[in-house]
Amino acid sequence: MTSLRPYVGLALAAWRSVQAYRATFVLGLLMLVFNLLAMLALWQVLLRSRGSLAGFDWPHMKAYLLVVFVANCLVSTYSDYTMAMRIQSGLVALDLTKPLDYQAARFAETLGRVALELLTAGAVTVAAVLAFGGLPLPGPGQLALFVVSLAAVVPLKFLIVYLTGMVCFWTQDYLGVNWARVAVSALLSGTLIPLAFLPGWLRDVAFALPFQGTASAPALLFIGQATGARAVGLVAGQLAWTVALCAGTRWAWRFALRQLTVHGG
Amino acid sequence: MHPVRFYLRSLAVHLRAALEYEADFWILVGAAVLTQLVGLVFIATVFRRVPQVNGWSLWEVLFIFAMLILAQGTGELLAEGCWAIAGLVSTGELDRMLVRPYPVVLQICSSRFGMNAVGNLAVGGILGGAALAHLPVRWTPGHVLLSLVVFACAMLVKVALVVAANATSFWSTSPNNTFAIGMDHLGNLTRYPLSIYWSGLRALLSTAVPFAFVGFFPASFILGHGGIAWLGLLTPVAAGYSVVLTLLVFRLGLRRYESTGH
Repeated sequence: MTSLRPYVGLALAAWRSVQAYRATFVLGLLMLVFNLLAMLALWQVLLRSRGSLAGFDWPHMKAYLLVVFVANCLVSTYSDYTMAMRIQSGLVALDLTKPLDYQAARFAETLGRVALELLTAGAVTVAAVLAFGGLPLPGPGQLALFVVSLAAVVPLKFLIVYLTGMVCFWTQDYLGVNWARVAVSALLSGTLIPLAFLPGWLRDVAFALPFQGTASAPALLFIGQATGARAVGLVAGQLAWTVALCAGTRWAWRFALRQLTVHGG
Repeated sequence: MHPVRFYLRSLAVHLRAALEYEADFWILVGAAVLTQLVGLVFIATVFRRVPQVNGWSLWEVLFIFAMLILAQGTGELLAEGCWAIAGLVSTGELDRMLVRPYPVVLQICSSRFGMNAVGNLAVGGILGGAALAHLPVRWTPGHVLLSLVVFACAMLVKVALVVAANATSFWSTSPNNTFAIGMDHLGNLTRYPLSIYWSGLRALLSTAVPFAFVGFFPASFILGHGGIAWLGLLTPVAAGYSVVLTLLVFRLGLRRYESTGH
């Protein structure tokens, strides 16, 4: 293992880059904020009149939506688009000449952006709590597990995004690939609707896949729907998928590189 | 060449170019269908537990959703190129368009062909048709005619607002069109009955940025939904406002453009 210094440098450069385009960055999170608003309004109407649906009352749904919002803010800033554009234009060749691990380098950049993503998401959450009232807080043990789970979202989601970005070695267009990932992951991560609302078979599929580890898992921990062994199981699932996907991306990378066509220039 | 002919010719050229990449065509169409299906799953899942939302039934909400999908498809068909504005401004590529003797807005709008339009128009058409078949609408000749006008104007509102949102990229140096994407998601709020929102947000969505006239109000008129149906007749006004707003934003933006100095 070479020294960590170049990776720290990359992370700092990414942090400074989002600082330079701060307006764009904040606007980029705007879409998540609008989605959050729509969901808060809709569920408030649905749950105020009915008390609870599928085990969710209004305070817990509110907390669920806010945690999912924060989780979705993480690793959301054009890391995949940047990578896709560099693959398509052939600029990736320059990255490959650097004596760094390509995947680790991209992860370092992602960490640089996560810092600002977390700050912004936190500010929005505070505003939402002020507007919609307080949240039911979990006990200290559960809270600690939640923090671990939220942190585990970062590498897991990075790997999913990275793997989709790699599809660009085979296709000319990335837009469609990205949309497909966003759509699938919205449904299976519990972003669209808590997984408890889905039909049994689909819920089982969702819990077996890695997507739920990027939103549903920390949210269920926070609102206390998963406790004890089930809570530990959710976090263990996140970590296991991270290890598996890490191995998977390394393996896929060998094939991807053979697909690379760089036009002379 | 007449500007409109130029516009259609340019669209056709970009369609042909896009068709060269067959796999990408299917990925985009598939992604569009998938995205809308997920939205559909959400609505269906919610309505599995509740019979109606603020007086709106499942098929009524699905009809609103279908109109939004059709509008999105229309936008991708006619003005996909506007998503390129941020990049054109940031790189200075817009220079080339300024020296051609055709309206810049038409050149930009026709500079791409959105393949996903195929998927969206298909899904929206099928869903809208199914919804109408399930809802008791009294189709008199007058209502059919007015509905067609309202529908066409609703599509125009969406196309105009997409171009306006992207034209704000003239004020930014970043090659990312994040603001326009954000506006798109603001429009998604109108998938659900407007009455679930707070009054300020409702006012915003029906006046300043009239996304409610893309699906909600026109659908109220076409379906004859309660006391607000007549508001759908204001859709042509909203369309006129949106087009004027768009041309204004575009003109002001273009005036700010200062190239990159090659």
